[in-house]
Amino acid sequence: MDKDFLINLTIAIVLVLTQVLICNHIFIFNVAMAFVFIYVIIRMPMDMKTDALLTWAFLCGLLVDLFSDTPGVNSLACTILAMLKGPCMYAYVPRDDRTKSIAPSIRELGFAVYGKYLLTMSGIYCFLAFTIEYFNFADIKEIIIMTVSSAILTFLVILGIDSLIVSNEKRL
Amino acid sequence: MRNLLNFIVRYSKWFVFTLYVLISLILLVSGSSYPRSVYLTSANVVTGSVFKGWSQMTGYFHLRDINESLQASNAALQNEVLNLQNEIARYRTLIPDSMAKDLELQPDRFGYVSAAVVNNNTRHPKNYFTIDRGSLDGIRTGMGVVDQSGVVGIVNVIGNHISRVISVLNESQLFSVKVKGTTFIGTLMWKGGDPSVAYVEEIPRHAAYNIGDTIVTSGNSTAFPEGLPIGVILNKVRGRDDSFITLKVKLTSDFKALSTVRVITDIYKSEIDSLANIPVDKTPVDRKKTAKSANTSTSVSHDTTSGV
Repeated sequence: MDKDFLINLTIAIVLVLTQVLICNHIFIFNVAMAFVFIYVIIRMPMDMKTDALLTWAFLCGLLVDLFSDTPGVNSLACTILAMLKGPCMYAYVPRDDRTKSIAPSIRELGFAVYGKYLLTMSGIYCFLAFTIEYFNFADIKEIIIMTVSSAILTFLVILGIDSLIVSNEKRL
Repeated sequence: MRNLLNFIVRYSKWFVFTLYVLISLILLVSGSSYPRSVYLTSANVVTGSVFKGWSQMTGYFHLRDINESLQASNAALQNEVLNLQNEIARYRTLIPDSMAKDLELQPDRFGYVSAAVVNNNTRHPKNYFTIDRGSLDGIRTGMGVVDQSGVVGIVNVIGNHISRVISVLNESQLFSVKVKGTTFIGTLMWKGGDPSVAYVEEIPRHAAYNIGDTIVTSGNSTAFPEGLPIGVILNKVRGRDDSFITLKVKLTSDFKALSTVRVITDIYKSEIDSLANIPVDKTPVDRKKTAKSANTSTSVSHDTTSGV
């Protein structure tokens, strides 16, 4: 089996389990929670076929939904996020030969660009997930507060995970 | 044909995207109103095993708090037993009861099955928690669930060894309650946000109550016996209808720290439920079918704004 596939599968399983067993139960000040499993979508290389990326995203979301009793919420949000990954990335970097095959990380993009890309992706995901779950724009104030706080928390946690993975890769 | 294939290959990402969005939407719409299968909930075998394993690993961290809570509950129950024993002894000496023998033969209507909470959520608008008991332990859908402090939910989906419970913190679940010591019945519901606060609606305007009074179950369902605590009145708030008052209630149970719960079994439940479900013109044969279908090992119950 492809080595990259196995690495991606391991990261996906670990992050989904971290999400459902730990992060789902940490809801800071009743507004902020970290969606760490979206790192699976964020770190996938840009030259991966969109069909494959959509499948990874959908399956990760579906797994989180099964464990969290939120059928459809995360799978829908993840599928839309996977579709928006390209536009988000190329909003901050030019589309050239180097960036076409890049796997987004701090090491590859630098903190400034990666930070903007990560924050955008986190913000979009949090907004989608909370909007789909509440399904009522009467709660828009609550949705915005939760989106902003959760996006910042997700950004910080994923930044930490990315640094950890990059430093481990360097050591290897 | 070739052009069609080329078209499909060229726009395959949009076909895949549409397919996944459609599946998600179907899950979203059908799953939130009616869980079609136990496999799509946290009560399935895989998720149940993961949660059970994790719960066994982390269950030790809260033992100190649980122990303190259980000791307090135990002391209160011991006091109550002693008081009741004294009271019964006093009445027996005062009134020799010729019916006593018959009464002692009556079995207790309500029983309890102890269970551990292996997964719990409080942040969603519709929260559920999962317990490590299922149909093989005598659990059935619609049974009430309490912890040492009060009512916490209703069994919703059951597998063989694991069940999913609709939490009190679920906007679609209503509970029939009353102010303790009165006959004024209202409906308790959680409206999201703070997991320690719920609201009791449809209490008549003329109802007498005080801040700090206890809200208890009304006993109007087979899920809960009458008088189980569920919350304490904080204050009155503006309601939807001027004919009724709405009370803000502090829930007695700490839903963020649910660990051990008891599922309430009612020996008359299946009898009462089957009687309530029989149409007037149903034949005895149909009644047998109804009873049989109510006893399947894996079953699912509605949770669309249901009330107990």
